[in-house]
Amino acid sequence: MLSSIATTALRRTTTATFTSAVATTRQHFRPALAIRFFSEDSHGDFAPQRKVVEGEDAAMKMIQEHVESNPVMLYMKGNPSMPMCGFSATVVQALKAEGIDFSSVNVLDYPDIREGVKKFSEWPTIPQLYVDGEFIGGCDIIVQMHESGELADLLKDVAKSEE
Amino acid sequence: MNPVLRRTFHLARRTMSSTVPSFPVTAAIQQKLTDALQPIHLDVLNESHMHNVPKNSETHFKVVVVAEEFETTKAPLQRHRRVNGILAEELEGPVHALSIIAKSPSQWAKSNAVPASPSCKGGDGSLPKK
Repeated sequence: MLSSIATTALRRTTTATFTSAVATTRQHFRPALAIRFFSEDSHGDFAPQRKVVEGEDAAMKMIQEHVESNPVMLYMKGNPSMPMCGFSATVVQALKAEGIDFSSVNVLDYPDIREGVKKFSEWPTIPQLYVDGEFIGGCDIIVQMHESGELADLLKDVAKSEE
Repeated sequence: MNPVLRRTFHLARRTMSSTVPSFPVTAAIQQKLTDALQPIHLDVLNESHMHNVPKNSETHFKVVVVAEEFETTKAPLQRHRRVNGILAEELEGPVHALSIIAKSPSQWAKSNAVPASPSCKGGDGSLPKK
């Protein structure tokens, strides 16, 4: 049960989609948009179905599972193709610039994860980045590490361990 | 008197007599950071106007804080945790976003550059709008 919910909440972002060709990016993301517009005007039965993450314990367990099974895990507002917050957008940009694949959860879709991840990390704001199960920081720290080259070093090790 | 003129005078008088907006959250952040860190430099910037919230809101902040204790607390994560801890009450309450630039005096002497905050992407709908 839990694992199926976790998979539903997760989104994989392959940087190749973003960098290789604009056309690919469009093909990749347009359909989702179309569905969203369609569903707003149509009967509720046709709206996208989202699993409900119930309760703090379930959320905490799920977060634990996310950060353990995804080498680069980002909690953000919106999704990588359409961030709903400037700070989340900035972190997505940094990760794309590093050319790394990452997983993400849109916390706006999951209120319990939104609150849960704040407790889990003892960190009051979103976005939050985990690498290899370790909490790295929010927007300010990621930008700082991206500019100093520390983030590249950190992610290089992840890429190696994935091979 | 011409009704248009009268209305103009009325509005002008009301505007002049209205009180200057107060910023209690900004003041509290300033006070708490000053007390806890005795910073050699502190900017508390209310950046709420850059976001989709009503005028004079106190929801989005950036603090630039330079303190002696950051000579020993070097890791950015630990510095941020320290600041977040001092401002826990504000972060649980009115403050929605907090950007932190925390430097040691020697780092600050090398560079006092403060990166610009990202532009708003619309927000998550949890706050009152403009």
